[in-house]
Amino acid sequence: MDMEFTEEQRALQTTARSFLATECPTSVARAMETSESGFSQELWQKMADLGWLGLVHDADAGGAGMGNVELAVLAKELGRVLCPSPYIPSAILAGGAVAAAGTGEQKQRLLPDIISGKTVVAFALQEENTYFDARSVNATATANGDAYVLNGTKMFVEFASAADRVLVVARTAGAPPASEGLALFLVNPNDVNVRLEPLSTVSRDRQFQMVLDGVRVEADDVIGTPGEAWSALEGVIERGVVALCAYMVGAAERIHEMATDFAKERVQFNRPIGSFQAIQHYLAQSITEILAADTTVFYAAWTLDEGLPSREIVAKTKSFAGDTFRKATDIGTQIHGGIGYDESMDTSLFLRRGKQLQLSMGSTGYWEDVIADELLGPVEA
Amino acid sequence: MDFRFSEEEEAFRKDVQEFIAEEMTDEIRSKWLGGLLDTPVRQEFVTKMSKRGWLAMGFPEEYGGSGKSMPLAQYILNDELHKAQAPIVGKNLGVVVNTLLHHGSDQLKQEFIPRILRNEIQWALAYTEPEAGSDLANMQMRAELDGDEYVLNGTKRFITSAHFADYMWTGVRTDPDAAKHQGISLVIIDVPTEGMTLSPMNTIIGEQTNDVFFDNVRVPKERLVGELNQGWRYITEALTYERFAMTSFAPTIRKFKRLIEWVKTTEMNGKPMKDDPVVRRKIAHLAVLVEAGRMIDLRCVCEAVRPDYVPVNEAAMNKMWGGIVETVLTDEALDIMGPYGYLWHNGGHAPMDGDMVDDYLWAGHQRVAAAGVDLSKNIIARRYLGLPAS
Repeated sequence: MDMEFTEEQRALQTTARSFLATECPTSVARAMETSESGFSQELWQKMADLGWLGLVHDADAGGAGMGNVELAVLAKELGRVLCPSPYIPSAILAGGAVAAAGTGEQKQRLLPDIISGKTVVAFALQEENTYFDARSVNATATANGDAYVLNGTKMFVEFASAADRVLVVARTAGAPPASEGLALFLVNPNDVNVRLEPLSTVSRDRQFQMVLDGVRVEADDVIGTPGEAWSALEGVIERGVVALCAYMVGAAERIHEMATDFAKERVQFNRPIGSFQAIQHYLAQSITEILAADTTVFYAAWTLDEGLPSREIVAKTKSFAGDTFRKATDIGTQIHGGIGYDESMDTSLFLRRGKQLQLSMGSTGYWEDVIADELLGPVEA
Repeated sequence: MDFRFSEEEEAFRKDVQEFIAEEMTDEIRSKWLGGLLDTPVRQEFVTKMSKRGWLAMGFPEEYGGSGKSMPLAQYILNDELHKAQAPIVGKNLGVVVNTLLHHGSDQLKQEFIPRILRNEIQWALAYTEPEAGSDLANMQMRAELDGDEYVLNGTKRFITSAHFADYMWTGVRTDPDAAKHQGISLVIIDVPTEGMTLSPMNTIIGEQTNDVFFDNVRVPKERLVGELNQGWRYITEALTYERFAMTSFAPTIRKFKRLIEWVKTTEMNGKPMKDDPVVRRKIAHLAVLVEAGRMIDLRCVCEAVRPDYVPVNEAAMNKMWGGIVETVLTDEALDIMGPYGYLWHNGGHAPMDGDMVDDYLWAGHQRVAAAGVDLSKNIIARRYLGLPAS
């Protein structure tokens, strides 16, 4: 039983924290809210140059071959500064799906550019009125010679307008909730048969509804064996969810620090408000939850690295980290008093992301259903 | 980073499980966390463990310890004992032995530690008084030196093991003029000693505790633990050990698993209860809170085994979260049962024979014992977050 970081992990944390302090202060998160693409190409390239985009990818694809624990170390740092980037969709989800499901040729052709930052690939899984679960995918892919033709509507596709490609999950066979029949397709977001409708989000990030209206995908861009994408997707999604949880824990840690510092400095009734038990108890409970979420995240990451059964712990981690982050932003803002609700304060950046990320990649309720399935068995018909 | 126990630790856990399978009986089983060593069979059970050397682990050989150290042994031992609702070994070892080792005179170490490690003597911890509850440093019981003896006068309250203990580990005021944290000392008192009177108090969970009255009780001055007027430091240090021993998540996990089994085997309105969407959400939410508790517990364990480190903050977090989760768990469990939830023991209709009702009442105890939820938050705020005094 050992929860210490290795020297390598500590070095990654230190490098990331000092790099992001200079290159990605929260002013970047704020600026990107009103930018065209939603992220800074310059920062993205620097992140690639540090080897972050290839962190968990194999060495022969140009990656660093690290594990989920290292990914969690990095994602926590990204979260502390609310780093706006397609890191999870492109490097982890799309890149990971290509690595797990793609043919040798496809991996060679696609991964080096994803890892070097040259290509940004968005990830399109969830659909209208469905959960964040590949098995509920309705979008269809119909064979046409070697090519496929895609029809369907995707939701919550992050950075789709700025992406070079979108990795789309669609069905070549079967219907929800079958895990058989799922397939992966690289789609050009500028294809004439693709329509992107911007979604207005509380975090003001770039998300889209993506309508696929007879989009033709050539054989080269059909990733892996059509119909057999489920197991690759399952692993990649768990990895992405844990990375998001680490991001949320890092962000929770940061808003908690901000609130604690504020409580020490802000004087009312002739003393710092942090001397009042009402304030102390909020902060004490919140930090306990954050540390518990932190350990849970690393336990989940470690579980994935060890190849142990992971569905239940991933579900618990997303539920707890999401709830904890949301609460930390809520309490953290409240402790700032009226000024916390000033749009120009960093609290507002955290508060808005607190609710959005709790609902992203499966809400607490969705993952609680997964936990119930694991503990009680599925509901009998 | 490694969340596995070592092979050596796993082997030890298996030894403990086998011991429990062989030796555990209904007579030994206690409903309550850390079940008291208040009966001969329970004491005999712990003595059998001491014969296996399990109490001596990690302590120096010169005081009867085995010298052999496995930092997580005591945690693993208590974890398994908690699961089986057996008496734990935390209080004597964690509080008395650790404090004597760090601060006691050689005479006290020689006199008490070997006998504790052989489970020959039982202890009552006596800090609380009618006017010294959460404000523990306000203890008023006087100890005045008269020749070679201290003379004690005052009242101790909630002294849980006093009716069967051999010794009382007692906080007393030795300097009434000093600031309240600086005039306290720690002494060991024989039970009974002339002038000491016990008055039992029965708690809502059916566990006996006691008021103890001291009327000119004389204690040899050699029974002073550590330095005069340094008692508060020793007591707070030891409270951390106690908080830690009392907040294993194993009992909460056991109760939660039992609830799951009950839900899986119960019907409501002719349908399996496990298929009720509200019940499923409640169970899932509880699973998350329990898992978070398990993680705080493990985090606490990893910190606690660091040499010469007293895990004040981790223990406070563990204690706080334990109280909160135990409350939510038992409240939601009874809620799921509906009116059957208020049926208590021996009525024939009570789910789990009414045990969850006991657990609900216990949860309240958990929130106040050995520094409760709110005091734990004070500790975290002041010591971990560095917030100013209120």
